[in-house]
Amino acid sequence: MTETTTYKANDYKTELKPVWCPGCGDFGVLNALYRAMAELQLVPADTVMVSGIGCSSRLPGYVETYGINTLHGRALPMATGVKVSRPELNVIAVGGDGDGIAIGGNHFMHTARRNIDFTYVMMDNEIYGLTKGQAAPTTPTGDKTKSTTYGNPEHSVDPCELAISFGATWVARAFSGDIKLVVDLMKKAIQHKGFSFLNIISPCVTWRGDDQFKEVRAKLAYLPADHDPTDRAMALRYTRETDKVTSGVLYDVITSSLDEELEVIHQKALKVKDHPTFKEIVSTFY
Amino acid sequence: MTRDFTLSLVGAGGDGVVTMGDMLARAGAREGLNAMKTDAYGPQIRGGESSSAVRLSPDPIYSQGDAIGVMVIFSWAGFSRFKSEITPSADAIIFHEATDPVPPEFKRGEGMAIIPVPFIEIAKAASGTGASKNIVALGMLCGLFHLPEAPLRASIERRFKKKGPEVVASNLAAIDAGAKIDFAALASDIPDLNARIEAKKLDYTPGKPKLLMSGNDATAIGAMYAGCKFFAGYPITPSTEVLQILGEWLPRVDGRVIQTEDELSAFGAVVGASFAGVKSMTSTSGPGLSLMTEMLGLASIAEIPSIIYNVMRGGPSTGIPTKSEQSDLFQAVFGGHGDMPRAVLAPADVEDSFHCIVEAFNISEEFQIPVIILNDQLIAQRIETLDEASLVHEIKDRKAPTEEELEDYKRYRETPSGVSPMSAPGIAKGIYQTNGLEHDEYGSPNAGYLMHEQMNAKRFRKLWGIQSKYHFVRRYGPEKASVGILTWGSMKGPAEEIVKRAAARGQAVSAFIPQIIMPFPKSELDQFIASCDQILIVEQNYSAQFYKYLRSFADLPAGRTHVYKKSGGRPMTMVEIEAEMLKILEPASEPAEVMA
Repeated sequence: MTETTTYKANDYKTELKPVWCPGCGDFGVLNALYRAMAELQLVPADTVMVSGIGCSSRLPGYVETYGINTLHGRALPMATGVKVSRPELNVIAVGGDGDGIAIGGNHFMHTARRNIDFTYVMMDNEIYGLTKGQAAPTTPTGDKTKSTTYGNPEHSVDPCELAISFGATWVARAFSGDIKLVVDLMKKAIQHKGFSFLNIISPCVTWRGDDQFKEVRAKLAYLPADHDPTDRAMALRYTRETDKVTSGVLYDVITSSLDEELEVIHQKALKVKDHPTFKEIVSTFY
Repeated sequence: MTRDFTLSLVGAGGDGVVTMGDMLARAGAREGLNAMKTDAYGPQIRGGESSSAVRLSPDPIYSQGDAIGVMVIFSWAGFSRFKSEITPSADAIIFHEATDPVPPEFKRGEGMAIIPVPFIEIAKAASGTGASKNIVALGMLCGLFHLPEAPLRASIERRFKKKGPEVVASNLAAIDAGAKIDFAALASDIPDLNARIEAKKLDYTPGKPKLLMSGNDATAIGAMYAGCKFFAGYPITPSTEVLQILGEWLPRVDGRVIQTEDELSAFGAVVGASFAGVKSMTSTSGPGLSLMTEMLGLASIAEIPSIIYNVMRGGPSTGIPTKSEQSDLFQAVFGGHGDMPRAVLAPADVEDSFHCIVEAFNISEEFQIPVIILNDQLIAQRIETLDEASLVHEIKDRKAPTEEELEDYKRYRETPSGVSPMSAPGIAKGIYQTNGLEHDEYGSPNAGYLMHEQMNAKRFRKLWGIQSKYHFVRRYGPEKASVGILTWGSMKGPAEEIVKRAAARGQAVSAFIPQIIMPFPKSELDQFIASCDQILIVEQNYSAQFYKYLRSFADLPAGRTHVYKKSGGRPMTMVEIEAEMLKILEPASEPAEVMA
């Protein structure tokens, strides 16, 4: 790929048409992604999209970059393998809330903890859409779904709160209908050095109802101008809100990323023995 | 004099028997002897009873040996824990710590020489501490049985150099004190002791030094030889050494190693790295293989080269984590949902562990298929000698797509071999999106049944290519045999020895040991079955998995197929397998279970 090529948002579209329902919040996320990629001029051949399983995890198929639609819950491990083995690539993991917090919850914790340098976009619709409407860990308590006939008996979690607690160094929230902000946050997330987590409230009109867009819009709020994103306690104040969906960069700090630490280890190892031949390796077994 | 020295060392925590075994095997290797060493531990995290068995010989060593010629016992309580695993020979010479008298329940064979030795007292006198009693015992063994003392002294100097010249000197003094023990006084009740010792003296002349490594060592260095540049793993007995060795060495050759949160993640990262174009592997054991089987399906349908090195231990569940059992076969060859081609290899000794990992990378990269290696704990964690010259193997790398293939690039293009051009990030014209969904030639999801049939056929066709190209089989014995032993993995050692012994008796016995288990080398197997009057299948698991697996594609003749199988936990001995073979060969005695 030559550097003179300029990419437009449309250049990132594949021929595949999304399988999503008309009115799905994920369309907004996808369009914002095309625009963010174009604005950053991400080279398609040097970019890898990785997803799990779910409605939103179909997304890599619609983006003209390298892509893997992996197993349910396993996007982050595979993205980790890509990024650690080829640190020069842009890696973006995407998926839903059930994929990332229920079945993939353990990976979410450890990927954030390692602060590996890639972006994770979670499209959060508070429901299992692909399997047609069962409760997710993000579904509010008491909500009736296909799997909770009498109301959801469980307490829900806030993905941003988890991400901050697990050690993610960049955490933001937005509403998929708020395209301009989503584009801006995606760009910031991709440019962040370390693990960046973007929680996008992406309504499911089919299983959460047509009113979802209106309801989220009514709750939409923005961080105050004096919000300090390096202050963890302050960031956590905007999580677990039931009456509001506060958008913006909640948390943003810099610490060494896994790929940087692995390079430190690489240099230490080279000091002990710089590129030993196979014969030299074998000779330690005499 | 003997050309086959077998030794067992048994002690409690802190007695240093494993160090002793290690030093002795290493000393033997330095003198060009063949050596094999197997350790066994109690369940304690630290301390607790342990044993180390060492076999030294100028001739090839096939197994750890059935009956032990010489023993050193520091703790009879420790010995009682290993009673079912350690069998002294009828004429064994047993040295035990004098302050720990022989317990009444010990079955003293009539031909045995049992000698109390005040190891602790001698150690204290020579070096100031009873802790060097293991070094005293090493000196004694060298002095009595013509074991390689010079390299042993050199290894003591190396081992204790960091602790200062006094420590080196006191350990060398312990060696000397051991060599000077006066047995006329200690064993006055055994008048022919000198003759007995003479009979067990190792007869050898020093030769070229040999390498000494475990199956896990050989796998780790084999991975580096093959060009592996990414390893992700989760600690699990008995394969953790691979994670540790590669963690130390891979960064020195620009590779990357990560320890993940679980085995799902470990193999996920491996498949991700391989998608990115980097040769990658993981290592694990049974419980981890169960978790990795999830990702195996994705690697198979998305056709991503990837390696799982699985060391088999007693199962199911946590089972017996420290002991050998060949019971992960079904999981490896059949495990997973859907129709899922994969290749399975199984080393038969330490040297094979090197060849199998390189071959696994070759098959995986050439055919874009996940490969599982099933090693026996018995091979993975024992150390044995090998010649450096044997560590040579052809290396195959993944082929980049040609310019022509990149025009209208189809990641899963139909080809006669089933192998399609595989691109990698960075190649502008090779961009594709893959997935675990059934897909068309471009990789786009496709739920049509005809496409599913076509793609299944394409993926399974690769097995034919592997089967016709890779003939990784060992066969011993005459072309026509009365009994043919059909076995795999660590059972190779006893089988090879049985074939040799039978030939010496004038009996026609052969053995067939495949290193490639799936796709199975069927024509070689058919030929072998046809060449033997009787077939004896030997395997170390309860449910006869190997036999049942062979039955799924091979015609094992009813009435002349016998199965000898046993749960793991204790290595199957050459003598017990030979006894089964003889029952078939000389049917006057009870025949082995006929399972056809």
